Formats: sequence, structure tokens, C-alpha cells
Amino acid sequence: MKQIIEISHLNKSFGEIKAVQDLSFSVREGELFAFLGVNGAGKSTTINILCGQLRKDSGTVMIDGADLDKNRNAAKRDLGVVFQNSALDQPLTVRENLRSRAALYGITGKAFEERLRELARLLDFENLLGRTLGKLSGGQRRRIDIARALLHKPKILVLDEPTTGLDPQTRSLLWNVIGDLRRRENLTVFLTTHYMEEAADADTVVILDGGKIVAEGTPLELKNRYSGDFITLYGISEEEVKTLKESFEYRNGGYRIAVPDTAAATELILRNPDVFRDYEIVKGRMDDVFLAVTGKNLTGGAEK
Amino acid sequence: MKELGALIRRNVSLFFKDKGMFFTSLITPVILLVLYATFLANVYRDIFESALPAQFSVPDSLINGCVGGQLVSSILAVSCVTVAFCSNMLSVQDKVNGTLRDLTVSPVRSSVLSLSYYIASFLSTLIICFTALGLCLLYLAKQGWYLSTFDVVCLFGDVFLLVMFGTALSSIINIFLKTQGQISAVGTVISAGYGFVCGAYMPISQFSVGLQRVLSFLPGTYGTSLLRNHALRGVYDEMIRIGFPSEVVEGIKDSIDCNLYFFDRQVELPVMVGILVVAVIVLLLIDIILTGIRSRKAEK
Repeated sequence: MKQIIEISHLNKSFGEIKAVQDLSFSVREGELFAFLGVNGAGKSTTINILCGQLRKDSGTVMIDGADLDKNRNAAKRDLGVVFQNSALDQPLTVRENLRSRAALYGITGKAFEERLRELARLLDFENLLGRTLGKLSGGQRRRIDIARALLHKPKILVLDEPTTGLDPQTRSLLWNVIGDLRRRENLTVFLTTHYMEEAADADTVVILDGGKIVAEGTPLELKNRYSGDFITLYGISEEEVKTLKESFEYRNGGYRIAVPDTAAATELILRNPDVFRDYEIVKGRMDDVFLAVTGKNLTGGAEK
Repeated sequence: MKELGALIRRNVSLFFKDKGMFFTSLITPVILLVLYATFLANVYRDIFESALPAQFSVPDSLINGCVGGQLVSSILAVSCVTVAFCSNMLSVQDKVNGTLRDLTVSPVRSSVLSLSYYIASFLSTLIICFTALGLCLLYLAKQGWYLSTFDVVCLFGDVFLLVMFGTALSSIINIFLKTQGQISAVGTVISAGYGFVCGAYMPISQFSVGLQRVLSFLPGTYGTSLLRNHALRGVYDEMIRIGFPSEVVEGIKDSIDCNLYFFDRQVELPVMVGILVVAVIVLLLIDIILTGIRSRKAEK
């Protein structure tokens, strides 16, 4: 599959602070790419360089085969950005907002009306077009932010913590829409998020810490590499669990035992078939991976 | 051009939809007119009458027309600049609330963005100042009308030029503002100080010679004088017609800055227009250069 973003040896410092250090990674066309890190890890700096808001100190950034340094405007046309906080004009209506932004890409008149209709149908805001943006709910506003980012049919959608502060239902709705877009338009999604369950659905995850990549791979690879498996046993007594001679904890009606990997879990089960009557084996979560890699927790928008 | 047009439309819409900003801007000249008419009109009238030789009998309407012209020119001179500062605050607000990022992720050039703020602010200010001029003309009609059609056209032209000047000046100052507090502080300073600096609140002729020379380097001074000359030209003609000695008329012109001097040399009206036009061009060039430098700096 084609690499749509290629970043190599990217460096950026602010005075003495090295925000990004020798960063290299690539994003494949059509994939959901998650970029994780605590505040100050270098995520925003990288995104700002990618979007042409910041100049890098060294390294190369290629977007769809074009060097960002040589053709910044072409790169900007390939990117649609949803900022963490809505950056649209609160006193204007949805239509006025989208019309003014579409014109920045040369989309006006009939072409704009057609695109607006498409997006309004896709993101379900046909009934909001005449409403003032400042009077919309958080979820409604987020849909308009996404529509703004998609106005010019970008190849890459950059989502900078797009669901922070949204209720679970709206988050789910937005992810359904984004999933639909990826399928229909082969859209590449570059995501930063504090929600680990969102990162778990990504095709590739990169974890940043102190401006450097500390882990990279698919969620499964990362879980296998940095987090063990968990076996939960149900319908047995504590005495029976103790016979396994493994450390355990009681959680949600079962006894949970941590094992290094699935092979170790299989071995434990085969050695004690009488104890394993009702059980489940699950992989570690992305939270566990993040904790193992960075030594920090990153759960639901809060760094702990 | 599509980008520029869309941005201008957006900026003007935002200005007129922000009722706080719009009414604050509109109310400035109206409040000034009321305050001037209530408190200063009598002072101006007394000064004018006391300066006349005892044997002169002057019709009330002429005195009122003279005082009114002075008031109106002062109000417009101040409003064109203070309203421009108010309407041009959008460029700073866009920085403060992060909207600027949303605009600059698109392939729009910083010069287009800068020009859109200038033109939108110019249009908004012009609408308000032309409205204020309309109110001022109504006030003059009530007090004593001595204006010809040409004078009225010239007054509109003066307002147009001064709004261009005020908008260009505010665009440069705004480049350096980053917070809501700075916006308020600059607004306060301009509202309080500009009227004195441009000779609107007090004629420059009443300042010390040293200060007069310093102020003669500021283009805004010539804007005030242009407005004053056009607002009072008919009054001066009437004075001559009813027998005022030309020395007396020249004395009045000197005392209220219709005659302005640059190091003892009188500055003619076309030269005043030229000074304002050149000032606008220079300020716009500085604005474009500074915007370019600042946006490159912001990317570092």
C-alpha cells in the first residue's frame, strides 16, 4: 500500500527544549493512524509541522509524494484538520461558516452548494444549516468541524483529540461517520487521542514520549510486545485458584491471573485442566501498553 | 480573489453580527456628538464671540454654523480612527480564539489574509463613519447650514481618507497584540489620547510651539484640518460676505487649525490630502512587511 505521509529524521526545538527528536515514521494510504503521548510528548508539534503551521529544524516531511518544504500549498490541500477546540466562527451560521472556509480552497457557488449537501447528508446536519454555530451542542459542533475539514475532499483527515469532552453516544456517532468515510473515500485518518479504546481500533499506533518514538506497531503487536494476557476464571473457589500458584486478583465475579503471553496461558490451562472449567483469555489493553512503554497513564483525557 | 472576497465577507459579517462590537463602534460618534453639543458648544461659542471686535454684529446662525462645523470636524476626526481600531480588533480576536489556525491550514496567503482584515475593517468603519457624517450634517442643518454640495462631497472624501488612515494604523498596531487585555488597553489609550494628538479636542494652535512642531509630523493632524476646512469653508465665505476683514477670518482659521503650519510654512489643502495618501500607502506597506515577518516568526 502507498505511503501517504512519510516523515524522516524530523527535529524541532524551542530554545533549549527539544520538542521532537529524530522522528521517523510513515502512514499508509487509507489507514487509521493513532499518535499517542502525554501532553508535551511532541504530538502537537509534529501535527503543526505536518499542517504547515510550524517550520521544522531538520528532516523531511513528504505528503502524498510531495515535499512539504517545496510545495506547502499542495500539502495543505491534501489535509483536512479537526482541531481539539472548534476554530469556526461562533456568531455565524453553519452555512456561513462552511461557505467562508470552502472559498479558501476555491470552492464557491454551485460547487459549494453540492458539497455542502453531500456533507450535510453524510454527517446528518441538514437541519442545522441555518443555525448559529455558537448555539449548537458540543456534538453538533464537532460534526460541523469535521464537515469543514472535509470540504475540499482531502486525502488525509487530521483529528487532534476530536472526541475530548464529548458524550459516549456522540463519540460513537463520530467514529461511525469516520469509519464510513474511510471505507467510501479511502480516507487516511491521522489521529491523536487520549482515549485508549479509540487507539485500539487503529491500524498503526505510534507512541511518543519526550519527543521520541518509544513504540510503534499495530495494536496487537504492541499488546503482544508490551502487555501480557489475562486469564479470568469463573465458578471456582479461591482455594482452587491458589493451587495454580500464580498471583491473582478478584475482579467482576472472577479471578484474574496475568500471564506473559498466550502460549504461557495455554500451558497453564493444559497443566490444570480441572481448574479451568469456565474461563476467558484476553489480551492486555492499550492502557497497559502505554503504561509499560512510557511509565505513565493516559486515560480518558487525563494524564496521571 | 475568491479567497479575498470570502474572507472580507466573513469579517464584515462577524463585525455586524457581534452586536457589542457594532454598537460600541456606532455609539462612539453619537456619544461624542451629544457630549460636544451639550458641554462644548457653549464654550466654543463664547470663545468665538469674545474674539470678535465689539462693533461686529454676527447672526446667530453663522455663529452656530461656525461652532457646529468645529464640533462636527472634531467628532469625525476622532471617530474615523477610534472606530477603525474597534472594527479591526477581529484580527486580534482570531489570534486569541484560535480561528487564525483554521484559516492558515488552508492554502491562503498571509498577505491575502492581512488584506482581507484591512478591507473588511475599512468597509465596516466607513459604514459607521458615513452614518456619523450623516448625523453630523443633520446637526449642521439645524444649527446653521453654510455648506455647498462640493463641501459635502469633500467631507465624505475626507472621511474616506481618514478611515483608510485609521484602518492602516490599527492594522499595524494589531499585529503586536495577542490577548484580550491588550485589545482593551489599546482601545482605551486610542480613545483617550488620539483626540488630543490630532488636534480634535483642542486646536494645535493653542499648544506650545515645540509641541506644535512635533504634532505637525503626524498625518492625523492634517486629516482633522481637512475636515475642519471643508466643514467651515461656507462659514468663512459668509463672514467675508457680511464684511469680516480678511485678517479676522485668517485669525479665526489660524486659531482653530484651518491654517496649519509645518515649521512656519502654511500647508495647503492639496498637500494635506497628499500627506494622508502617502501616509496610508506607507502604513499599508509597513503592515504587509510586518505581517510577513510575524507569520514567518510564528512558524519558527
